[in-house]
Amino acid sequence: MGRTIGKRLLQLIPVLLGLTLLVYALMDLAPGDPAAKRLQAQGVAVSEETLDAAREEMGLNRPFLVRYGDWLLGVLHGDLGTSYRDGLPVAAKLWKGLKNTLVLTLASLALSVAVSVPLGVYTAVRQNRAGDYVIRFLSFVGASMPNFLISVLLMYFFCIRVKIFPVIAKSSVQGLFLPALALAVPLMSRFVRQIRAEVLEELSKPYVAGARARGVKERYVLYKNVLHNTLSAVITIVGLSVGGLLGGSVVVETIFSWRGIGKLAMDSITARDYPVIQGFVLWMAVIFVAINLATDLAYRALDPRVDGLEGGR
Amino acid sequence: MKKTLALILALVMVLALCACGTAPAPAATAAGGETDQTVTLAESFAYPSLDAHKDYYGWYTSIYGMTETLFKMDDNSVAQPWLAESAESDGSTWTVTLRDGICFSNGKAVTADMVVKNLQRAAKENDRFAYLAGYEMKATGDKTLTITTPEVYPTLKNDLASPELAIMDLDDTTDFDKAPICTGPFVISSFEPEGTVKVVRNEKYWGGDVKLAGATFLYMQEDDPKQMAMQNGEIDGYTSVTAAALETYRKAPDTYKVSVVPATRLQFYALNENRLDAAVRQAINLTVDKNAIAKYLNGTVTAATGPFGTATAYGKVTVPAVDTAKAKSLLEADGYTLNANGIYEKGGKALSLNICYYAARSLDTLATLIQEQLKAIGIDSTLTVEEDPDGTYITTGDFDIALYCMIADKAGDPYYFVNAVLRQSSRWAIAGFHSDACEALINQLQYETDTAKRAELANQIVQLSIDDNAFGYVGLFNKTTVLRAGVTGCSETCPFDFYEIDANTSKTA
Repeated sequence: MGRTIGKRLLQLIPVLLGLTLLVYALMDLAPGDPAAKRLQAQGVAVSEETLDAAREEMGLNRPFLVRYGDWLLGVLHGDLGTSYRDGLPVAAKLWKGLKNTLVLTLASLALSVAVSVPLGVYTAVRQNRAGDYVIRFLSFVGASMPNFLISVLLMYFFCIRVKIFPVIAKSSVQGLFLPALALAVPLMSRFVRQIRAEVLEELSKPYVAGARARGVKERYVLYKNVLHNTLSAVITIVGLSVGGLLGGSVVVETIFSWRGIGKLAMDSITARDYPVIQGFVLWMAVIFVAINLATDLAYRALDPRVDGLEGGR
Repeated sequence: MKKTLALILALVMVLALCACGTAPAPAATAAGGETDQTVTLAESFAYPSLDAHKDYYGWYTSIYGMTETLFKMDDNSVAQPWLAESAESDGSTWTVTLRDGICFSNGKAVTADMVVKNLQRAAKENDRFAYLAGYEMKATGDKTLTITTPEVYPTLKNDLASPELAIMDLDDTTDFDKAPICTGPFVISSFEPEGTVKVVRNEKYWGGDVKLAGATFLYMQEDDPKQMAMQNGEIDGYTSVTAAALETYRKAPDTYKVSVVPATRLQFYALNENRLDAAVRQAINLTVDKNAIAKYLNGTVTAATGPFGTATAYGKVTVPAVDTAKAKSLLEADGYTLNANGIYEKGGKALSLNICYYAARSLDTLATLIQEQLKAIGIDSTLTVEEDPDGTYITTGDFDIALYCMIADKAGDPYYFVNAVLRQSSRWAIAGFHSDACEALINQLQYETDTAKRAELANQIVQLSIDDNAFGYVGLFNKTTVLRAGVTGCSETCPFDFYEIDANTSKTA
């Protein structure tokens, strides 16, 4: 297993090189001037001489490959550079954003799993009954609604109508709940349907019929056997979602003023803050590979018969 | 049963204790007008540092009431004495005299020497003020300094009102990013980079009593959460109120105080003279109805005649009234005829324009409205949205009509806009506006020291651009402020974005 993990990590190197070169090239080709973006941020025009001086200071006049090479050399020394916008170290900015997004991600995932697992099992057990139809309809609605609409509706209902939470999210459980719920609603909607499908498939298997015939209690069959066998599917969809969530949800973070990495990335793209964008791409690539690896390891832990690291199931 | 009853009683007792409380005490007011009140305001930007000299951070340290400059722009866009009491020029040398009794929040007196050091530091830290490094600045006394410029610089006094040229105690400040020592009525209490900022009263404020005990500034970028927070009582005010929110607040005048003043951020368009002939450009300008656009934008913009407010001495220009009949006759005289689709065409080619814009500052709405107005008289158009106008259509010139928004009057003087947009060397020259007469007037304006004459020159320059149908000045954004009833003095009548709280800001309970 150690050798395979090592191989996976080695495969990461050409992926990162290719990805960062591609992103750097795309940024270079895209229209936009980081110097102008910084100096004209408040709508005040500056002279071409001032812009030229700023471009020189920011090293933007150097050839693309020289700039990329310098950046890469810095990365190899553990230095992701400094932001064009405010001169702060990129690593520090990304870490701060990532911490906030991590909190939001874990909260929204916990909420999603806590709600969708019981609901998914319920709808499978109560297949084609009223409860099943209602929950499936609600999951359809939840999956269809855009994040910004969910966020504003939640804010309106919980903050204005019912007044349980403040509009302004703070770094507390109370401040975290609404943004986590806003992210969790579409997740729950997908998870419920996925879990329902997995449970239904398990319930149709002979071992369930056999357990029931032997007089094993239904609750035991469901939660000890069926759910256990469904867990790998749950881990898959959670794993797939973690990557996306860690990339940050710009909309939710902006509406709730939650300073996560998604908002940082979007603001950096708008401002053409190349060092931050490069750092973001690098970190996200590493995180995605790490999550996939962790997911595969989790498969193996759940079911030793499955050699998850070779991608089989 | 007994257990249940006991539980219910315990719950009732707990709830009763929660409900107990004393009525809020009336705001304590000291003899000098100081109170123990604080305000909470929402801001659309938040920066990672409080170093006023860097980037645009000085705008926000000024908003927070922490920093002050030598001069301050008043509600009529005139530079008034602030830390300085006067600035006189004899050509290339300005003599600035500081006010008596001014001091930093640590009680240390502000000297001319410290002012010089501040200006030199700003030149070093801020690319937009790097030009100050070429000036000879020296303190000639404890309260006087001279600034000698290489050539006549008539607007130096106005530019010294720029919030980036704030005066800080450079000797005793150890952390410019988080705790600069400044002269303002408020000092920093806690600072979260790009987050919440809290300030408290400067007990040693040179300008007298500071009414508020402190203020909290929350970073909220989106309009809907700001409105909800305002309605929920979580904030006491904010600026850049949307049209929809204005309507809501106006329905409850006892709870909210709305203030709308024309400000200095201009929506305008350039007509590409390389592609559009004179008749077409004139027809466009006779068709675009700025009043209708301003009405649609429902209080967030004021229809413009020129780039500057009509209340200013340099905002006195004339534009022809909307006249769609004349617009049509101009096109027809130019050889255009209406086709079966109701669109003008010439030589078999339909008159279809490319309107370029970016989705900010209501330019998307403006583009759609202009498209509709042009279509009504028979001019077709397509809309092209770009994420970055400076990197695309402004640079390439690939447009027929280019929409843009920028601050036109940053310091109570017209030269900045005229130089940035109407000069032949400006990047807007790509739209094809070339006028030797205009260029000569701009050169004259650059060195003219008489304020009245400057206004006259600016009016002539802008009028030339209007008469040539080179540009269309559509609207000036209003500074729209909403404050909770009882909150006053948040610079709601000032057109500049970089002022908010000061010593006179107050809140009654």
